[in-house]
Amino acid sequence: MARISREERKRQIMDTALILFSREGFFEVTMADIAQELGMSVGNLYNYFTSKEALAKELILYISKLLGEEIRKINFKTISAREKIGEIVRFYFVTAKERPELIEYFLRIYLANREIFKNGCEGFLCVSPFVTEIMIFFEEGVRSGELRDQDFFSAFGLFMGYLGGMVFLMGEGMLPNEIDYYIEDISENIYQALKA
Amino acid sequence: MKRIEILEKVEGEVFLHYHYRQGRIDHVEIEFPNYRGMERLLVGKPLLDALVITPRVCGICGHSHLIATARALESMASMEIGEKAREIRRITLSCELIQNHFKWLYLVILPLLEELGFPKVPPFQGLQGANIAGKIIALFGGQYPHTSYAIAGGVVCDPTSLDIYRASILVEELHRLYEGEVQRGGEPLFDGKLLLNRIARFLLDHGVAELGKGWGRFLHLGASEAIERGERREASTEKIEEEPSRLGYATNLLYEGKYWEVGPLARRLSDPLVAQLIEEFGDGLLSRIVARVSEIGWLLEEVRESLGKIDLSQPSTLPFPTGIGGYGEGIVEAPRGSLIHRIWARDGIIERYTIWTPTQFNLANGTRENPSVAQKGIRGVKEGTVAALIFRSFDICSVCTTH
Amino acid sequence: MRTSTKPSKLSLLWLQGATCNGNTHSFLNYPHLEAVLERLEILYHPLLPSRYRIGELEEVEKCHILVVEGGVREGVKRGNREFKELLELFIEKAQWVLCVGSCAVYGGLFGERGVALKGEEPTPFYLPKVINIPGCPAHPDWIATTLWAVVEGRELIRDHLLRPKEIYGYTVHAGCPRNEYFEWKVDAREFGKREGCLFYELGCQAPYTRGNCNQILWNEVSSKTGVGMPCIGCTEPDFPQENLFSTKTYMGIPARFPLGVPKRAYLTMTGVAKSFKIERLERRLFEED
Repeated sequence: MARISREERKRQIMDTALILFSREGFFEVTMADIAQELGMSVGNLYNYFTSKEALAKELILYISKLLGEEIRKINFKTISAREKIGEIVRFYFVTAKERPELIEYFLRIYLANREIFKNGCEGFLCVSPFVTEIMIFFEEGVRSGELRDQDFFSAFGLFMGYLGGMVFLMGEGMLPNEIDYYIEDISENIYQALKA
Repeated sequence: MKRIEILEKVEGEVFLHYHYRQGRIDHVEIEFPNYRGMERLLVGKPLLDALVITPRVCGICGHSHLIATARALESMASMEIGEKAREIRRITLSCELIQNHFKWLYLVILPLLEELGFPKVPPFQGLQGANIAGKIIALFGGQYPHTSYAIAGGVVCDPTSLDIYRASILVEELHRLYEGEVQRGGEPLFDGKLLLNRIARFLLDHGVAELGKGWGRFLHLGASEAIERGERREASTEKIEEEPSRLGYATNLLYEGKYWEVGPLARRLSDPLVAQLIEEFGDGLLSRIVARVSEIGWLLEEVRESLGKIDLSQPSTLPFPTGIGGYGEGIVEAPRGSLIHRIWARDGIIERYTIWTPTQFNLANGTRENPSVAQKGIRGVKEGTVAALIFRSFDICSVCTTH
Repeated sequence: MRTSTKPSKLSLLWLQGATCNGNTHSFLNYPHLEAVLERLEILYHPLLPSRYRIGELEEVEKCHILVVEGGVREGVKRGNREFKELLELFIEKAQWVLCVGSCAVYGGLFGERGVALKGEEPTPFYLPKVINIPGCPAHPDWIATTLWAVVEGRELIRDHLLRPKEIYGYTVHAGCPRNEYFEWKVDAREFGKREGCLFYELGCQAPYTRGNCNQILWNEVSSKTGVGMPCIGCTEPDFPQENLFSTKTYMGIPARFPLGVPKRAYLTMTGVAKSFKIERLERRLFEED
């Protein structure tokens, strides 16, 4: 096996852990399980992450950066807020479909087990890259006059709660159609709710 | 014969169109130049922005305009501010008056007296007095001039007990300066060595003490009082009329169709010294000058009293409703006398704003047949410097008058 | 042996356009005015003892320093002359032109324009001899120290709007006694309390307004933000803006960010700061334990 950098190795560990957590559940999976899956020693794994909690925090930061990066690209496009909503919804659902472990970790582990994250991931600390981009999307939409000015959280809750809810239903196998099927209607609903 | 003179050091200038008859001033037309359109500037603005804009009517009495705006807004909302805010505003407003009176005495009156032969007095002691008063305002208002710390509903500041002590120390320093240089309370006016004693003697010796008499009608709207020939009655702003300008940009203010005097003389009529002077010399130059200067002493007492009364545990401000409309009126006893702001608004936006300033009363440009207080006071005077002294005894504010 | 020679005085003429006289009075508040005036010969000042009267300004042949207060506006008269005529006359004669206050600098509340600028746009009088000292009013220290520099023959580094960088290179936010509340994003939600930052809700413009108000203080004792009044941006070309007592936000995010701070940087930092609850800053300052 070709020698890979520490950073790449770290990423491999995180990708593997995400899949394991999503398949088996966060509390069921031990550091040893992860090491085994990767074919590395537990001792070596601890060189990368000092504890399972440390790994958990890095994971949420990793996901947040990944999502933030994509929304940032959308934010930089010279398109209307309405079109941006469409792109964000599409990106979110496609990610949920192609890499469900990312969104599931966010919804089922990060949001549902806040006590794991209380030290070092307070408030928006570990999701800041993602939330910052959503803030900028809203701010620019209002500034341009396309979206209605309101409290950030009432808008954020509507947008993200809606998307999260749909992904949750998908994860539970309760959606009669593929999630892409809903992109257009949901984008329109969000736009109608937020427009000026 | 007609001659136009420029009266300066009156917060801008006034053009005085003198009409002479047999070597004496027979009539004067008063022209205030330089209009800025403050009232128009306020139309269409959010109500609270007036708190920032109106102090900028004037660099020497802007704080009075601030308080007038705040009171007008509170009257529109039919609200009373708390006791703490009221005491703090009383302190800062009094200090603005003190600041004004020091500057007026040392920068406006003394140079003219010097022209008449009074020994030269450098302005710096007066400025020191004004500066200390400004510092006290800044302790509560953040800065002087041009703070907007008094907001609709109260004041923004939340002073600590040490701030109160700082202010108290400054008041004592101001008091020492005043009693050491200007006037000592309770001492006979014509005997002492202090500045006001010397000025009083000079005016008397110079034979000008009784010049510049008004109509014997005084308005003290801050206390809702109209005093005519010693008789007090309840005053109301409803009886004020605004007369269009005959010359320049200032409009004239009348009360019950007549011209009245506003200012320290009007509000200190119950000061035994002032009462005695009016009795003896009439409501002229001497009484007017002494009333203004000795008002510093009274104001210092009031500041002391308020500093002792403030209960720091009370809230500084009460909630002010947003988006209100209707009519509000704010009356303030400003350095030069009664100042009135009136605001009409709808949905939190100013539709109309009018400002009535003291100089519009005192220096109204009336007619030869019906002269204003200052026009009457000037009648019969020969010398230009004395005429200027009479005018300046009213403490004119040119920028306020045209606003 | 030390020799004491009396320093020469430079002549100064203080001319007012459309103004409230606020800068005149602000300057009079300078605590060491006497020492400054020792070095100046006052040809004309609206209140200080002067060599000439306002009606005699045409007789003034030379003036080293012209101080202009107030905006340039049609119809303003000084003495028997149009202010604009006098202004042009003395700009020509003066070696230095100090524009004090935002009206003289940008046009401000009362001017159709300032002397060298109309807002941020240069006028034909955008000249190297102009020093702009905006503020409503200008702080006495700004006027006094700038005058002193001129008296001493020193040049002050100025920015593109001709403002001395040593004054306007700072923001009003620098030195604000409420800085801790800004850092940890603890908002003041109502006026009248000594705790909380005024930037998020109550309209404070200090983070993007230039001036060293909170470093040198006003009247040597305090500042607007120090007592709990929002900075109203009085040194800036767009003064006064509207709704000065509430912060303009878009979906809860401030419409303007601290000077030179990119939006993403700002939101990231505040998001982080807001994620922590600092007990001490949430409490009243002198609350008993």
